Amino acid sequence: SETDFRPSRIVVIAKHVEAFIREFFDQNPLSQVGLLTIKDGVAQCLTDLGGSPESHIKALMNKLECSGDSSLQNALDLVDGYLNQIPSYGHREVLILYAALSTCDPGDIMETIQKCKKSKIRCSVIGLAAEMFICKHLCQETGGTYSVALDESHFKELILEHAPPPPAIAEFATANLIKMGFPQRAAEGSISICSCHKEAKVGAGYTCPRCKARVCELPTECRICGLTLVSSPHLARSYHHLFPIAPFDEVPPFSLNDPNHKLQRNCFGCQQSLLNPGNKPGLLVVCPKCKGYFCLDCDIYIHESLHNCPGC
Amino acid sequence: MASAPSKLYADDVSLVVVLVDTNPFFWSASSLSFSQFLSHVLAFLNAILTLNQLNQVVVIATGYNSCNYIFDSSSDLNQSFENGRMPVMCSSLLQKLEEFLIKDEQLSKEVPEGRIKSSLLSGSLSMALCYIQRVFRSGALHPHPRILCLQGSPDGPEQYVAIMNAIFSAQRSMVPIDSCYMGAQNSAFLQQASYITGGVHHKPQHLDGLFQYLMTIFATDLHSRSFLHLPKPVGVDFRASCFCHKNTIDMGYICSVCLSIFCKHHKKCSTCGSVFGQAQSEAASTSDKKRKTPET
Repeated sequence: SETDFRPSRIVVIAKHVEAFIREFFDQNPLSQVGLLTIKDGVAQCLTDLGGSPESHIKALMNKLECSGDSSLQNALDLVDGYLNQIPSYGHREVLILYAALSTCDPGDIMETIQKCKKSKIRCSVIGLAAEMFICKHLCQETGGTYSVALDESHFKELILEHAPPPPAIAEFATANLIKMGFPQRAAEGSISICSCHKEAKVGAGYTCPRCKARVCELPTECRICGLTLVSSPHLARSYHHLFPIAPFDEVPPFSLNDPNHKLQRNCFGCQQSLLNPGNKPGLLVVCPKCKGYFCLDCDIYIHESLHNCPGC
Repeated sequence: MASAPSKLYADDVSLVVVLVDTNPFFWSASSLSFSQFLSHVLAFLNAILTLNQLNQVVVIATGYNSCNYIFDSSSDLNQSFENGRMPVMCSSLLQKLEEFLIKDEQLSKEVPEGRIKSSLLSGSLSMALCYIQRVFRSGALHPHPRILCLQGSPDGPEQYVAIMNAIFSAQRSMVPIDSCYMGAQNSAFLQQASYITGGVHHKPQHLDGLFQYLMTIFATDLHSRSFLHLPKPVGVDFRASCFCHKNTIDMGYICSVCLSIFCKHHKKCSTCGSVFGQAQSEAASTSDKKRKTPET
């Protein structure tokens, strides 16, 4: 019967945001994340927009302090300032983890909300205390989601729900051709000056195809010529969002006893017996394309992690 | 990438899922005959089972149109007194393989011509991963799983997305994918698979001595691999191929809606039909770029 987050809300939040960042970069390798804190009525930037999870996680590991009032308007103003600079093909989103029950603003927050709506920033809020009207209004206006966490495990669920990309709103998503480079790995033993660390390094880096500068890791933006550098697995990680697998159909119980149905005794994916003890058929699903029978565990694994049907 | 770390529990117990390529188009043109290949592989499977009493082996056949399980050393059918657990004396393995090949050939009559003669690697990788998930679910004490891919057929480009999905899932579950490629050219898919998951990729020079390659490179368990000098990945090519000509390119243009890769500037994306430079009319399209700022 815990009534609040232990040992303190900020510690719990930091832990779950770290898990969220890792999951987020796993699902969206070409995206960037920045962290802000709201303290004493002022919003400050904890880390800049960046594509590598390590810098964010290092900042979260430091002891974060909380004090003073929180100001939603200042936070939204700061976010608007940052996100306005990015190109139009990028989707802009804010996820606010709000534990306060009020907001102390210097001006009219409704104007700020309209400004965010015009900049096409999608704001979502996860509340930790109680539901607030202003947060609900903000999310409704900008098209985000508002949820309030009941306890720590519910909070973890809610925050991880924001990791997979949401469907894009058609009018906001202008299609653009973005120029990107696919660098090759440098040969073992080659010595060059790394553009991120500004010192000579041996081998094990990537060469920008346009300006031939050396970078340490992908994905990144070349510091010399500004070309976005990625490798094909990064793009491939997002393909399962674009080519999703069809959900499997449940097998109705009466057809299992039908003698015309030649029931497979084992799950097609993992070969586990599909019959419960006593020779009664358990719960199964069937793939609509290849008609293979799968047990429920395989169904969960296939749809959540694998995104492929073994039979197709 | 560093090789995959081993988890707790009896460091050197392993579960090896072997994916055997049975594509008739490849084997009919190969210098090594299929029966010789099978004798190498069966000796290798026996050797793995003798390395440790608790080792397990599962064999999945990768056919031209379908895949299926051929052998499972831990299933009850194989525990007979005379055979012990030796698959080479177990005629059931060869029998099941024959049944599978007959069924696979029958499916070929329904498939249209004009495909590259590749085998269904994505299907067998997915099946192997489902089996490994079942092993993970069986409790805290389980052998360390890994996948060994014995492949000779060329890469089928239509399986790219499915194979990459399987590779990322294996990477998440920390299952290394080793691969031994016996075909003529290089297999980019298998090189990427072994590199991303921390496995070993090798293309043997002399196929007559296949058993020796299998024993020295692929037989050791994950924990002992850190003490051995295994073939390192040389020149894994991560460049993409453009969707229009299938050439490998250094720099390309990516459609922001569907991530298709083009080598020159186009007016319209051929995959998703979006016209560049103006808003879309389709409702449910996802985008790869997203900026988020969580605040506390």
